[in-house]
Amino acid sequence: MSSNIPAYDPAVDAPAHHHPVYDYDSGPPVDRGKFAIWLFLATEVMFFTGLIGTYLVIRMGSPEWPNPKHLLAVDITAANTFLLITSSWMMVRALDAIQKGDKGGLTRWLGATILGGSVFVGVQVYEYVQLLDHGYLPNRDLFWSTFYAMTGFHGIHVCVGVIWLFCVWIGAVRGTYTAQNYVRVELAGLYWHFVDLVWVLLFTIVYLM
Amino acid sequence: MSETHGFNTNKIFGMLFLFTALEVGWAFLPFPRWALWGGLLIFAYMKGYLIFTYFMHMKFEGWIVKGLMVPTIPLMMIVVFANMPDTSKNGLLVYPLTEQLDAESGSIVVLDETERAMDSPGYKKKLEARGEEVPEHLDGGH
Repeated sequence: MSSNIPAYDPAVDAPAHHHPVYDYDSGPPVDRGKFAIWLFLATEVMFFTGLIGTYLVIRMGSPEWPNPKHLLAVDITAANTFLLITSSWMMVRALDAIQKGDKGGLTRWLGATILGGSVFVGVQVYEYVQLLDHGYLPNRDLFWSTFYAMTGFHGIHVCVGVIWLFCVWIGAVRGTYTAQNYVRVELAGLYWHFVDLVWVLLFTIVYLM
Repeated sequence: MSETHGFNTNKIFGMLFLFTALEVGWAFLPFPRWALWGGLLIFAYMKGYLIFTYFMHMKFEGWIVKGLMVPTIPLMMIVVFANMPDTSKNGLLVYPLTEQLDAESGSIVVLDETERAMDSPGYKKKLEARGEEVPEHLDGGH
């Protein structure tokens, strides 16, 4: 007994199983990489809020707390803060250069940014060595445990930023980026500015207040 | 001179430099604590605003990117206020913050008391109660 249902014909039936093709992009009206990095930075905000917020609550709840200006090298750290802000500005110049198609400018400004970040980490390591040499270990008391937790995690972020920027710099040296293709430079720059922003807050809260 | 998105990056950089210098100078002026901390937080806020708005281009982003950051504000407040009950009644706690068990004596002590209380009015009162000499910086320090 024959069926009234027609036999399967790929030429006729297959297109019905394909996803419809729209003449517009159904994704968000923002670069996917930029969307992802901002989402990541939002989680980073919460990470540092946990550290800084806990520090503030502990400090405000403590009947006694040392004056950090008497224990920490504010002069050296202030110079280091200037350096990190400068490196952030150099990152802006690097992105500006490649947006204008200046590949040489990108390589130079990016290299200077990496140098600034590396020196920042070096100075922080020097500060740690000096403090540890004087017996100020993280387990000494709440002041030092919170100090090392906040500045240490920030230092790790700076190291990650330097490595990330170095990877982008290699691409710049090879001529990967152009005035039409610079998203990776922008994403690394956003992370680097965030690291700078966090340090601006940490310097005030930990060293000056 | 660098112009990006209609703003001058060099000018923003100069403002960041200036605010940092003013902030460090402010920190060493003999202000009362409310003025000292208030001024420092204002400087920090202005610097953070400049970096976030211009260097990170948030001012020029669309609603999606801005919307990603909006939830962090109430979440930040929740994190801070969730910790508050642990310390707001610190004086009533059995083991208040900054005090801990001394393994040798078996008693609750404030460790590194001299350093910890360098500027503390509470430490000054303790010294006076004990009849000990009050360091000079406790009388005039901020």
